[in-house]
Amino acid sequence: MMRVPVLVAAIVMVSGAGAQQTLHDLGVPLNMDVKAGEKVSFFITSVGMGDGANLGGLKGADAHCQKLAGDAGYGAATWRAYLSTAAAGREPAVNARDRIGAGPWYNVKGALIARTVSELHGDTREEAYGGNRIIILHALNEKGARPNTVGGPQPLQHDILSGSRTDGRAYTTESGDRTCKNWTSNKEGSAQVGHHDRVGGPNQSWNSAHPSRGCGQDDLVATGGAGLFYCFAVDAK
Amino acid sequence: MTSLRTLLLAAALALPTAAPAQNPKPHADFSFFITSVGSGKGGNLGGLAGADAHCQKLAAAVGADKRNWRAYLSTQAVHGGPVVNARDRIGKGPWYNVKGDMIAQNLSHLHGDTLEEARAGNRITFRTALNELGKEVNGHNTGPDLMLPGEKNNHDILTGTRWDGTAYTDNADHTCKNWTSEGEGSVQVGHYNRPQWNSIHAAKSCKLEEMLKETTGALFYCFAAD
Repeated sequence: MMRVPVLVAAIVMVSGAGAQQTLHDLGVPLNMDVKAGEKVSFFITSVGMGDGANLGGLKGADAHCQKLAGDAGYGAATWRAYLSTAAAGREPAVNARDRIGAGPWYNVKGALIARTVSELHGDTREEAYGGNRIIILHALNEKGARPNTVGGPQPLQHDILSGSRTDGRAYTTESGDRTCKNWTSNKEGSAQVGHHDRVGGPNQSWNSAHPSRGCGQDDLVATGGAGLFYCFAVDAK
Repeated sequence: MTSLRTLLLAAALALPTAAPAQNPKPHADFSFFITSVGSGKGGNLGGLAGADAHCQKLAAAVGADKRNWRAYLSTQAVHGGPVVNARDRIGKGPWYNVKGDMIAQNLSHLHGDTLEEARAGNRITFRTALNELGKEVNGHNTGPDLMLPGEKNNHDILTGTRWDGTAYTDNADHTCKNWTSEGEGSVQVGHYNRPQWNSIHAAKSCKLEEMLKETTGALFYCFAAD
């Protein structure tokens, strides 16, 4: 839908606002953006894997990130899905925040998403209050398009799989299933999701707003999702 | 013919009730809005008293004047004080928009006083931050590529406040001279559409024409304090 000149104009204008040295007391300064297509290290998958929350585990999800990134011309980096898993048998829990490198991360238009893992997750109260830049403007897929948001074209696609708490860590097993059985179930279970548009549910969290109704594709759609998830490049420079 | 006459009669009878329907009655819990219009004088709101009166007047126009409305604004010592923290002016909550959507449970939720609250955020979003008429404020999508043709981005909301809801203590102007300047001055604003609703950057003028050139419509938040 969006033509390239429009995208370029948008970037120039956004960067321009930063160049005026607008003083941001909080949050990520606008003037740290880079050119579109540079340092690309963050996107939301343009499509899910088609089998609900069965992603073939973390490996399958990582491969999906890598494939989409490669198709869009960003395959040189190492991509990881932003997903947690619960402890299972001998396998310890995996925290999404520990999988994605150290940052900084940029979207395909060059907008800085967050400088550090701490900033991404709001580890300090000031960071948390300022927020990262996963907001409606910058939360784009690898093609530079925006998953459907509240108030925009439908069907809604704003439930983004994470299986994580707001701090980016896995739930304990006492919390019940939040990862659709570590991303292998397309039926029973539930997955914690965030909202890339920050709207709806009990909070405004990008990574932990509410659990899904179930793990099937229809279940994800029913609560406003499409089985999309966040991908980050671990070796972002 | 009879049915046509009946229809016409019904239409005529419906007219008196159709007019109020354009301005739906505010929800019973209505206690938060963004002003649909500013004072008309940029950063000069007639001080806190003038700003409160503006909130009260706009609320009255939609039949919600039984409550005690307060502008979410701070004032600074540097301009002769008194020092007033916006967060201390607005009661204890919970607050709801004109349609009854909850905005925040209490002051701590509103301001993210705890780490978990700060991470999760309050519920001021572009969908809930409505004016007293129930309309979304222009420019909620922020980005030029998301704007509708002719849409004006008015997402800078005047607060003069730090992110925790308190007044600035330095010697710079953050409040258009305690809301009396419509010329020189500077004012701290927030973005109702994220990531930060009450304190994200400064606007460099208090003159309405200059403010409108940027992304502020010189609007502000009103809360019912009771």
